[in-house]
Amino acid sequence: MAKHIELGAAGEALAARELSRLGYRLVDANVRMRMGELDIIAEEDGEMVVVEVRTRTIGRMLPPEATVGPSKIRKLVRTGTAYMDRIGWEGPWRIDIAAITVGPDGKPALEIFRDITVGIIEP
Amino acid sequence: MNVVNGVTLRGIEALKVEVEVEMTGGLFAISVVGLPDATVKEARERVRAALRSLGLSVKGRVAVNLAPADIPKEGALIDLPIAIGIAHAMGEVRVARPTIFMGELALDGRVRRVRGAVPAALLARKLGFPLFIPEGNAREVSLVKGVTAWKVGHIRDLFAHLQGSSQLEPITPGEEAEENPEPDPDLSDIKGQAAAKRALEIAAAGHHNVLMTGSPGSGKTLLARALKDILPPLSDEEMMEVLLVRSTVGLPLHSSRQRPFRAIHHTSSTISVCGGGTNLRPGEISLAHRGVLFLDEFTEFRRDLLESLRQPLEDGFIPVSRASGSVTYPARVLLVAACNPCPCGFLGDPQEPCRCSPLAVERYRRKMSGPILDRIDLHVTVPRLTPDELVQFEGQVGENSADVRQRVLRAREVQWRRWGPLGFQCNAELPERALRRQVKIDAEGRRFLKDVAGRVRLSGRGISRVLKVARTIADLAGDEGLTTAHLAEALAFREGGDLPWNR
Repeated sequence: MAKHIELGAAGEALAARELSRLGYRLVDANVRMRMGELDIIAEEDGEMVVVEVRTRTIGRMLPPEATVGPSKIRKLVRTGTAYMDRIGWEGPWRIDIAAITVGPDGKPALEIFRDITVGIIEP
Repeated sequence: MNVVNGVTLRGIEALKVEVEVEMTGGLFAISVVGLPDATVKEARERVRAALRSLGLSVKGRVAVNLAPADIPKEGALIDLPIAIGIAHAMGEVRVARPTIFMGELALDGRVRRVRGAVPAALLARKLGFPLFIPEGNAREVSLVKGVTAWKVGHIRDLFAHLQGSSQLEPITPGEEAEENPEPDPDLSDIKGQAAAKRALEIAAAGHHNVLMTGSPGSGKTLLARALKDILPPLSDEEMMEVLLVRSTVGLPLHSSRQRPFRAIHHTSSTISVCGGGTNLRPGEISLAHRGVLFLDEFTEFRRDLLESLRQPLEDGFIPVSRASGSVTYPARVLLVAACNPCPCGFLGDPQEPCRCSPLAVERYRRKMSGPILDRIDLHVTVPRLTPDELVQFEGQVGENSADVRQRVLRAREVQWRRWGPLGFQCNAELPERALRRQVKIDAEGRRFLKDVAGRVRLSGRGISRVLKVARTIADLAGDEGLTTAHLAEALAFREGGDLPWNR
C-alpha cells in the first residue's frame, strides 16, 4: 500500500477509537456511496454525525482541517443526505471533522471540529 | 394555538407578528419565511448564538414562519420572539398564553434596546397580551398606562421566568411627568421685540403659523424657541402621540409635557423632513407633531421641500408611499418660518444700509411667494435692537413666559368651547364658510374692514386670514364679538403689511 493511504487508514482507526472514548457511538465506517465515501458515521446525543477524518504529517503547508474546502463540504452534505435517506434516519444530523496531525516524533494529535456547516450551507 | 408573537412597525403602529416554528431532522439550518428583510434574516445567527450561550444547541432543520405572510417584517426586534419560538418548539420553555416578545439579541444572550417599544406596548394593551421588552426600553413603556410588561436584560432571565424558577422585574407605571421645565429662553429674557412677542402669543393661542422677517442677529431664532414654552402643556393624549413618534424613531424620551421644538436646516432633504426612506421612518415634521417646526432661512429652502409641507400643514398628517407600503405619520405642527428681508439682510434697518439692487430684492421676495405663504396667518418684522437697547441691563423686563401661557390657555379654552361642537380645535383651522357665518363683527368694525380692504387691496383670502387672527386676538382679550381694535391689530400682521419693501 502506498504510504499516504496507510497513513490515512491509521488515522481513521485512531479517530474511531478517540471518538468512542469521547462518547460517540460508532454506527458505520468507510461507507461507499455513488457520490463519494463517508469515513465514519457515529451517533451522539440523539444526533447522527458524519465524521470526515483528515490526517497529515506536520510540516506540510496546510493543517489537515484546512484541506476541507467548500466543494468537499458540499460533497459531504450531498453524500450525507443520501446516506441518511438510505438508512431512513429522520432526526437531526451534522458534519464533524477529525483532524489528525502526525508530529515529527511520529506521535499523532487529534482535534475535532464540530458542526462545520453551522447552518450556512444549504443542502 | 400559536402563542409566541413579535411585532413589526408600520408607520407609528405596531402590528402583531405570529412566530411559528417547525423543527425537523436533517442538517442544521434555520430558514425564515414571511417577507423578512435583511436584518430579520440575519436574526438566525444571533438567535443560535444566544441560545447556545444558554447551553441549548439547536439541531436539525428549523423553519420559522412570520405570519401574516404578506406584510414585510423589518428590524432586529424580532430576534427575541424567534429565539423563544424555537425554545418553545424544543420544549425548553412553556409559554402558557399568547404573549408578545420584542428585543434584539446579542451573541452572548443579552437583550438590546430596540425602537418601537411604545407602539408595541399600545398593541399589547389593545390585545390584552403580556409583553416582554428589553431593559433599555423600560422607561418609555412605563409611561404607557394599563399594560402588563416585564423587562428583560438577558435571555437567561427570560427563560428562568418562563420556566417558573425565578421572576423577572415587572414594569411599574412611571412617575408622573414633571409639570414643566424652566422656559428656555423665557420671554422676559428677550429684550424689546414687543410686536414679535405679541405675534407669538397670538400664534400660540390660535395655532396660527408665523413668518418672522428681520435682519441677521435680530433674535428670530431666540423668539421661535421661546414659542414652545408659551404653548399650553401637552395633554395626556398628545403626550402619548409625541412619545409614539419618538419611540418609532428610537429617540430617547423626555417625559416632560413641554412641546417638541424641531429646527430644520435649509439643506435638509425632503425625506428627512417628511419621512420615508427605504425602511420607512417618520421625518422631522412628525417629530415636531403637537409642537413647533422652525424653518430658519425660509427663502433658502428648496422649492419641492416647501411644497411637500403644504398638505401636512392643512391635514395634520403626512402620508408616505413607497414600494414597501404606504403609511401615515402624524404631522400637526405650528410652523414658524424666519427669513431676512433681502439678500444682504439690512433692508429697512435703521443703521446699516441695504446694498441690494431692487431687482435682487424682487427676486428674493419671489422665492418666498407661493402656496406655503397662504398657510401663514401672521407676518411680523423683527427689527434689530439699537446699541442703547442692547446694553441696557436693568429697567423694564417684559412679561415672563408663564404669564403669557396662562392667557394662551384661557384663549384655547374659549375656542374649545366655541368650536368643539363644530369639530374644530382652534381658530386657524376654521374653514372659510364657518368663518363668515360664525364670526361676529360689530357695525363699526365692518365699516372699518371694508374701508381698509379697499385701500390696501386685501384679497378674499387675505380677509379670511385677518378675520381668523382678529378672532384669536378677541379670544385673548376675552371679548365676544370683533371690534375695530381687534381688526386693526390683525391687519398689522397681514402678509406684506409691515414689510420694509411695502413702506
